[in-house]
Amino acid sequence: MASDPILAVEAVGLKKGGSTLLDNVSFGLERGRFHALLGPNGAGKSSLMRILYRAETDNSGTVAVEGRSLRDWPRKAYAAKLGALVQEAVSLSGLSLAEVVGLGLLPLALPRAEAAARSAEALALVGLGARAGEDAAHLSGGEQQRLFFAQLLALDPDIYILDEPHNHLDLHYQYVLLDAVKQRGKTVLASFHDLTLATRFCDRAFLLDGGKLVAAGPLEAVLTRERLASVYRIDADFRADGVQIRGAIAG
Amino acid sequence: MNRAPYGLTLTLALLALILAMLAGAFWGTAQLPWDERLRALFRLPDAQPNLQLIVWEWRLPRVLMVAMVGGALALSGVILQALLRNPLADPYLLGLSSGASAAATAAIVWLPAAFVASFGLELLAFLGAMLAFILTLGLAFQPGRGMDKLVLILAGVAISLFFQSVSSFFLHLAEPHVTRNALSFLMGSAAGTRWGDIPPLAIVLPLGFIVVLASAKMLDAVLLGDERAVALGVPLPVLRFGLLSLAALLTGLAVAGAGIVGFVGLVVPHLARMVVGAPHGRLLSIAVLFGMITLVVVDLLSRTLLAPEELPLSVLLALFAAPPFVYILRRVRRGL
Repeated sequence: MASDPILAVEAVGLKKGGSTLLDNVSFGLERGRFHALLGPNGAGKSSLMRILYRAETDNSGTVAVEGRSLRDWPRKAYAAKLGALVQEAVSLSGLSLAEVVGLGLLPLALPRAEAAARSAEALALVGLGARAGEDAAHLSGGEQQRLFFAQLLALDPDIYILDEPHNHLDLHYQYVLLDAVKQRGKTVLASFHDLTLATRFCDRAFLLDGGKLVAAGPLEAVLTRERLASVYRIDADFRADGVQIRGAIAG
Repeated sequence: MNRAPYGLTLTLALLALILAMLAGAFWGTAQLPWDERLRALFRLPDAQPNLQLIVWEWRLPRVLMVAMVGGALALSGVILQALLRNPLADPYLLGLSSGASAAATAAIVWLPAAFVASFGLELLAFLGAMLAFILTLGLAFQPGRGMDKLVLILAGVAISLFFQSVSSFFLHLAEPHVTRNALSFLMGSAAGTRWGDIPPLAIVLPLGFIVVLASAKMLDAVLLGDERAVALGVPLPVLRFGLLSLAALLTGLAVAGAGIVGFVGLVVPHLARMVVGAPHGRLLSIAVLFGMITLVVVDLLSRTLLAPEELPLSVLLALFAAPPFVYILRRVRRGL
């Protein structure tokens, strides 16, 4: 673990309705690095991320950003510091694409001209620049995901939390958008199901299983054949260009 | 997006409201020239005493009240539809109307008429509405967790059903002439409004409007989803609790002012959204003005269509609101 993590998670636990979603999870995010949060369905990835962007506050343990406890940060300053791409289906009727992206700048209170310039630049980056004035209700799932990517890129926080960023995106935009985030050089924590995509972008990985952190470190050290078998129940090998999967393990 | 220019819409809506209110104040005095009417309106020394009495004691308080009730219900509707992200939310969703109805029918049927007259049916209805709202919140609120939207809606439905059955119970027990009194309240009417009835809404509506307008950006962020709003720094539990309480207060005062007036809070916000879009910085003022215009016009029709009989506001509103409501339903079915 880095000596001075920009974000430190210490002994975080979460229980809901009698079941344990997170159990004593501790790790740190290194400044300027792209981190993968890995694990099968129900491992606790989204729950952990929800704690980080403050949608979940019932957790035990502590989260500190730049040495300051999450609970001590003023709301707006924290929202400007840490931005999130979340998984939440909504209908965006009555708002234009530019307005949706502009709302992402809420924590910054920018002058109108600068906000408009940032929104336009971000929309162009996700390939929606020509449609800025359209009603966001008419977007497909993938286009809506691109729109929320644009919102986050316009805000450009120091820490990006990306919950399954590849959701609904075609292959082209999976690479375009994750490249765009990577080029910003900020600290990123992204959850992935596509291990090859994770290999392409991430420097380090945290592997969750059943709410527990079972491994942390460089991807090749985390994704061993044994762990791929025990956690993901797949017969696979990690390689520098991705994970070669031979098949699911029966049972 | 096809949106009407905001400034133009605001100006036209303000003009329409002024015209509607003048029509409300002067209807039935068509034989008089306008300078005569304006002299009465501004209480000039040479104004006709009769006209001045009609306009100042009977018409103006009533017109002002229905305008404020329309504005309050539209504002509540905008708040509820945004905070619950539910296009079919309306101010009565949280059990308010049935709480007010139950209190009013109980008072009309059971309490001595002198007591009701001295205490005020309006105040009793308001208290009933607030009781229902508190019960709904109590059912939906979880300590440390805040309010879940769906649980809140279900709690509102449960409380509504409970108070509806209380109202039915009292109506069932009552004598026919008493039932008629209660029904006229339940279907909405601003008849008999006096200047003394005006201050509560005249204070709460403008202040509430300023509070909601100051929260406009946060309401916009809520449209993106609860989690996105929280991630953008919106204090969602505080916002939700505060603005829902304000919506309940506005609705309770509206019920006290003109009885149960349906549809305005449901349909008017949608009409305003179709004209100026969903961003609340523009939507709020247009929705409130549309609500005011709608109710002033409907009130005017309610007392003129079958004069001297007065039609309940909700009956006319339901007739006018049905076509846009069907349109909204079609949009909701298409996923908006």
